[in-house]
Amino acid sequence: MRLRRAFIAFLLAVGLVGAAVAAPFRIAVVMPSATTDMAFSQSMWSALMIIQKEMGGPSALEIKYTDNMYNVPDAAAAIRDYASQGFDIVIAHGSQYGSSVQEIATDFPQTTFAWGTDVNTFGLPNVYAYTAAAEQGGFVNGVLAAKLTKSRKIGVTGPVEVGDAKTYIDGFVQGVMSVNKGITVSKTWTGSFSDVALMTAAAKTHIANGADVLTGSSQSVVGSIGAAQDNGHVMWFGTQADQASLAPNLVVCSQVYDWTGMLREIIAQHKAGVLGGKTYVLTLENKGLKMAFNPSYRLPGFAKAAAERAIKGIVDGSIKVQP
Amino acid sequence: MKGLISLDVISGIIHTMIGLATPFLYAAIGETFAQSSGVVNLGVDGIMLLSAFAAFYVSLVSGSLALGLLAAAVVGLLMGLLMSLVSVTLKAEQGVSGIGLYMFGLGMSSLLFKVLIGTVKTIDGFKPLPIPFLSDIPVVGKMLFRTNILVYCAFLLVPLAWWVLNKTTLGLKIKAVGQAPAAADSLGISVNGIRYLSVCIGSVLAGIAGASLSISLLNLFQDNLTAGQGFIAVALVYFGGWSPVGVLGGALLFSIVNSFQLWMQVLGAKIPSNIAVMLPYLLTIVALTISVNRARQPAALNKPFERGES
Amino acid sequence: MSANARSDGAARTGRVEMRNIVKCFPGVRANSQVCFDIDPGEVHALLGENGAGKSTLMRQLYGMYQPDEGEILIDGRRLVFRSPADAIRAGIGMIHQHFMLVPTLTVAQNVALGQPSARAPLVDIKGVTERIETLAQEYGLKVDPRAYVWQLSVGEQQRVEILKALYRGAGLIILDEPTAVLTPQEVKDLFETLRRMVAEGHSLIFISHKLYEVMAISDRVTVLRDGKVIGTKLTREVTRDELVKMMVGREVKEVEARPLTPGPVRLRIRGLSAMGDRGTEALKDIDLDIRSGEIVGLAGVSGNGQRELAECLAGMRRPLAGTISAGGRDIGAASLNERVDAGMAYIPEERMRDGAIREFSVQENVFLHDRTKAPFARGIFLNFAKMRSHAAALVRDFSVKTASLDTPIKNLSGGNIQKLIMARELSRKPMVLVAAQPTRGVDIGATDYIHQRLLEQRESGTAILLVSEDLDEIRALSDRIAVMYEGRIIGIVERGEASVEQIGLMMAGVAMSDAMKG
Ligand SMILES: Nc1ncnc2c1ncn2[C@@H]1O[C@H](COP(=O)(O)OP(=O)(O)O)[C@@H](O)[C@H]1O
Ligand SMILES: [Mg+2]
Repeated sequence: MRLRRAFIAFLLAVGLVGAAVAAPFRIAVVMPSATTDMAFSQSMWSALMIIQKEMGGPSALEIKYTDNMYNVPDAAAAIRDYASQGFDIVIAHGSQYGSSVQEIATDFPQTTFAWGTDVNTFGLPNVYAYTAAAEQGGFVNGVLAAKLTKSRKIGVTGPVEVGDAKTYIDGFVQGVMSVNKGITVSKTWTGSFSDVALMTAAAKTHIANGADVLTGSSQSVVGSIGAAQDNGHVMWFGTQADQASLAPNLVVCSQVYDWTGMLREIIAQHKAGVLGGKTYVLTLENKGLKMAFNPSYRLPGFAKAAAERAIKGIVDGSIKVQP
Repeated sequence: MKGLISLDVISGIIHTMIGLATPFLYAAIGETFAQSSGVVNLGVDGIMLLSAFAAFYVSLVSGSLALGLLAAAVVGLLMGLLMSLVSVTLKAEQGVSGIGLYMFGLGMSSLLFKVLIGTVKTIDGFKPLPIPFLSDIPVVGKMLFRTNILVYCAFLLVPLAWWVLNKTTLGLKIKAVGQAPAAADSLGISVNGIRYLSVCIGSVLAGIAGASLSISLLNLFQDNLTAGQGFIAVALVYFGGWSPVGVLGGALLFSIVNSFQLWMQVLGAKIPSNIAVMLPYLLTIVALTISVNRARQPAALNKPFERGES
Repeated sequence: MSANARSDGAARTGRVEMRNIVKCFPGVRANSQVCFDIDPGEVHALLGENGAGKSTLMRQLYGMYQPDEGEILIDGRRLVFRSPADAIRAGIGMIHQHFMLVPTLTVAQNVALGQPSARAPLVDIKGVTERIETLAQEYGLKVDPRAYVWQLSVGEQQRVEILKALYRGAGLIILDEPTAVLTPQEVKDLFETLRRMVAEGHSLIFISHKLYEVMAISDRVTVLRDGKVIGTKLTREVTRDELVKMMVGREVKEVEARPLTPGPVRLRIRGLSAMGDRGTEALKDIDLDIRSGEIVGLAGVSGNGQRELAECLAGMRRPLAGTISAGGRDIGAASLNERVDAGMAYIPEERMRDGAIREFSVQENVFLHDRTKAPFARGIFLNFAKMRSHAAALVRDFSVKTASLDTPIKNLSGGNIQKLIMARELSRKPMVLVAAQPTRGVDIGATDYIHQRLLEQRESGTAILLVSEDLDEIRALSDRIAVMYEGRIIGIVERGEASVEQIGLMMAGVAMSDAMKG
């Protein structure tokens, strides 16, 4: 009997492995910028890579992607393609893809769609929405920045004043003000996600005006790096991805979006037959948001302590950050 | 807010403007050569992209900025030869071949970037090179004479291009070929030869424009680094009435408006940001409509040359 | 064989021979087995109707086209010209029918273009200017080296073309229809220059339709017809009539207008003023009546308002003041269509710009005005069968030479395009016809034909305004001649009342009363 049971278990195991080999779990992702953008798209891409490794490599989790889909109709076509190819989960990684997801998801009720950053699942049972409480990390970065600035001038740069770029900056300003109301925070918006030359000029303008701390939505980091090349005494605070490797002597701390927890849960739910209907919000508390201190930046103890107090306060609810 | 128009601010605005204008100058002066000979090269942006990548990658790998610059020029030259082959020898519609060249440059630079580098990296680009004495002049020195070699060269290019186009036998031939190719041909001038040369001059300069972004001003490469600057450069040629001095005016105007709006934002002037960023483009369109002097447009612009058609 | 622009004294080119030249274009044998030669110091005229192949032959001599067959020899040595550069090096220059100048450059720059410079890489403007001034002095070619070409009159532009050839040291100069665009005075000046060139030892190939010019200037004459040489004669041994017969293939007699009593006034112009292209007043207070069955010739040196007057009548230019009435109907502000309805027809000066659409077929060009009218259209539909038979009839009646009704009009010769435009305009049986330079650049056969048609039209009662710079044409056809000077009609003379000289004086601005005294 025992032998038989063991034998059946063995067969089952072989069968399962075999099934896994024959039909890996399949995820497709459509992104507005490059997987290597050191920011929004890369944050999702890195998370997927980690999940793939956890699950046992490409044979267990097949991942397909289409990046640089800044044109929404093209993105919609890609999303529909992946859904019709029978992917288990299709991730539409951009807040501009909402209406496309809403339309396509009704045509493919067996497929899970996840999209963000937004909170709206459109009441569809096969759509997940996800977003990040970017103001939380923004607040922490703001506290740090306020502690470190000598000129008491801080520059904020970004492409356009919307989405998590805006909530991040709102949180950042609250953080700065919580430390010192006398610090000037000035903002520039360039109007373009890709115009690096203008972003650089914006950062240089802040520096020329006396700013010694810069932050902004993640795309702007490249511009600030360019600007800081001429002037080494500038600090940068990042968001979305860990930007320390870009400029080890410039980046102090980054708020990192970690989508792995969310991805694990969505995959498990899908396997259990739940295809959507929920909104995920990354927070410091659920560890979807992490503060990545740049190890090669010599951060003074008092500043680090203040940052950690802020994190603790946000997590335990004693500090409220307005989004 | 306080002291919006202080001396420091003005000098800051001008300094920012000079940096912004540099790639436009290379690209638009180059395009002036191509268009003066009768070829509209809409592929400037693509050339800038692939050359920016080449300059960046070669500098990164070899550690030599000079080699990077050379690589950009070579890439520009090769793309110029391709453009000439398609639009001059094969007489394809110039607008279409230019857009094709742009798509090629955009796609190729993105692909190579992914394969060869993969992620955003930075390098040490050309360092500021203060000019002795001049850079010590108060205000002006800081404003104009503490920037890097590629920026100085961009501004020196203006009188040089003016001189070539207006004073030399080559310039005379280029203009003749653009205005009256049949006349040039009847004097034994090789119309296609001059067009190849002009397009290639323009493309090499577009290549250097790309390099000025990736190894002198921004010191990095990423997808679609130019963000359409090459197309603005083409518009500046019309704006400048096909003259290097006009192009300089256009490039400075476009850049100073940009630089001005950035400074106003930094200083906290109460202009909605989306209006502020629209300003340069709005101004360009308005200025284009007002200023374009069709009379100076090369008469054979966009027309392939065929002997015997009158 | 000198290409050295600086060598003083005239350049000479040896005996040039073209042997058995064959040149084909798609569907046309433009030259077949043509033999042509020219001796040093000779003026050899090349005569032939439009499309006879004269320009094609000369373009091969100038290296612009390569012959399909045959060879070119200079002093017995066979040469192959791959481009004009080769021909220039061999001492050949060409003044093209359509000038080859860069309008945005100065005279000196045009002359220097493509030539080695003494101050390379700079253009040696000073040196070139001096050289131009010397040449201009020597050959009587008055022109300002510093002026931009677009500022120059047609005659001046031609002088620049000649200077270009001389500057390049051309010993043999080809002049392709050089007089077609000139005023009588300018033709006289040109001939003076040509004579000086011959005296300096240049050889000239002179292409023209105008027989008296050929008779006046050439030593020998070769006639081409349909790409073939009909004959080569010593000029002093042939008569005008013989040449015409060789050219056209039949006898052509001078047209003569039968005396007619004009009918009622059909076109009445009162106090007409208008601006010119340069924003100055080009027409000043014009009064003119034209009666049914009358041709009024409008004479004048080009640029004195003739073109603007014709354009005002055609509705292509807005008058500033004054009235125009056709058959009693005021058409001063009427649209083009309304003018057509009022019985106006217009043969434009720039026939390829205003009279036809280059890329359109012969048939389509016939229907530029009448597309939407019965019997060719019903509602929005066109009746192609009707259109085709009408177009075919016009092509036949006006003997337009074209490969087919579907040939793009740009492939037709100037004379045939003009005939087609005439056919189109006259087929509407107009009450008033404005014909601007109807025979400019048109060959003898077609000119004769057009003249006859105009006279027929006169006899059928049309009021005709004939604008022409060809005084002979005006004098042969007009019942009255109105002379324009600086935007005004300076005088009107009856047929036969004034001599060429008297009209010439009025064209130069001399008041009629003074001119008629002389
Ligand atoms: N480039 C060309 N392509 C095709 N046909 C041509 C071309 N040039 C001339 N032809 C044709 O060759 C014939 C001779 O033309 P051309 O030499 O210009 O005559 P001409 O100068 O005697 O008026 C005409 O039928 C003309 O239509
Ligand atoms: Mg001809």
